[in-house]
Amino acid sequence: MSPVPSAVRDRGRLVAGGAAVGAVATPVLVIGLVAVGGFAPLSAAETAFAFGGLWFGLALLGWAGSVASGRAIEAAQEHLDADSGWTERRSRRAMARIGGFGAGMMLVAPIVGTAVG
Amino acid sequence: MFPKRFVLKRLLLLVPVLIGVATLVFSILHLSPGDPALTIAGERASQEFVERIRADLGLNDPIWVQYIDFLGNVAQFDFGESYVINRNTSVREVLADTLPVTLELALYGQLFGILFGIPLGVLSAVKQDTITDHATRVGALTGISVPIFWSGPLLILLFAQVLGILPTSGRISSTYNVAAIRVTGMVTIDTLIAGDWEMFRSAVRHMLLPSLVIGVYSMALISRMMRSSMLEVVRQDYMRTARAKGQGAKITVLKHGFRNALIPVVTIIGIQFGGLLGGAVLTETVFAIGGIGTLLVEAIEVGDYPIVQGTVLTFAFLFTLVNLVVDVTYSYLDPRIQQ
Repeated sequence: MSPVPSAVRDRGRLVAGGAAVGAVATPVLVIGLVAVGGFAPLSAAETAFAFGGLWFGLALLGWAGSVASGRAIEAAQEHLDADSGWTERRSRRAMARIGGFGAGMMLVAPIVGTAVG
Repeated sequence: MFPKRFVLKRLLLLVPVLIGVATLVFSILHLSPGDPALTIAGERASQEFVERIRADLGLNDPIWVQYIDFLGNVAQFDFGESYVINRNTSVREVLADTLPVTLELALYGQLFGILFGIPLGVLSAVKQDTITDHATRVGALTGISVPIFWSGPLLILLFAQVLGILPTSGRISSTYNVAAIRVTGMVTIDTLIAGDWEMFRSAVRHMLLPSLVIGVYSMALISRMMRSSMLEVVRQDYMRTARAKGQGAKITVLKHGFRNALIPVVTIIGIQFGGLLGGAVLTETVFAIGGIGTLLVEAIEVGDYPIVQGTVLTFAFLFTLVNLVVDVTYSYLDPRIQQ
């Protein structure tokens, strides 16, 4: 039996999946910015880092917001008879994936930057 | 009993929120066009001077190094010094001057919303489908729909220009020196502490219109929420039981219904406070009140990045803190939440 609880494994998989996509997307973005946008290689890697930061920051906020107020928002939707199908659990999972993507970009961008700079 | 574990969990959530906001602001400012060094030095400055400023600010370091430095400083609430607006003054000092202004406005707006929104919501629910209910609902809908930049000038026109009973702008009459009695930075409280009734009266008169403008939206939302929540509660079995035991309608509603109906309303009040802080940006502009909202707009316009970062992070911190207070209140009203 695995010593890691399944819930943690599930969450880890979510974040790692997003991070892997982010890690792959970073060199692609850097090459694209250099080739199409006319960026200097280091500047392109820095832009990729900032771009990853946008996703990471947004996801952290979204995740914390979902944890803190998710249930309340669900209740408010119910009270106002304006149920949109949004749930705290699905929001948390989506944010974990997006956060992983941003973190992946932020981790790989310095490596790419060091390699090309 | 004070919900320690619950509060601790909520306090821990402050960490990802602040890291998230800090990262977001840092990234947006880096991606936006403009060179902070050039902003400080001015268009006519020599290249060497611009380079020297860039080196002083650490802008020559790679962005990931700047990010780590920035997070380290933010952890100590050190946002650096203002580049343009209050040159060589720490952002902390600038915020200490302007934050109380916005807080005062938001607090009075919220107070107005709660004081009028809750009774109107209860009244509307108790008198369901009567003329009172319809009038309250139309009023609430109007309050939600009318934007501040429209209602503000109209109220100024009515109360200041036509009736001439309230001042058009500012926080207090210019004949008074509030800096001399500054304690909290909130004029109504400072004048009260100083015991100067003339000044206090002037501060309250100046605060009335902005609070009304900012509080109307809040009041409308609270009353709407209170109505629907109350309507749900009055249909509960325990309410019927209370009435069957011979309790009067008023006592049943106030004693058994009110507290339970208040739970979702408290949430709305918390979420609403963030909206009030955002609304303060517009209200401060309309009424020429120099708070944190006006400061933020000005800082964005001139590219004063440390002020922008400090202001946005302060907003985020305040908003999260208010939500924490709401959560604690919520768990007090309904202890099941702590589970």
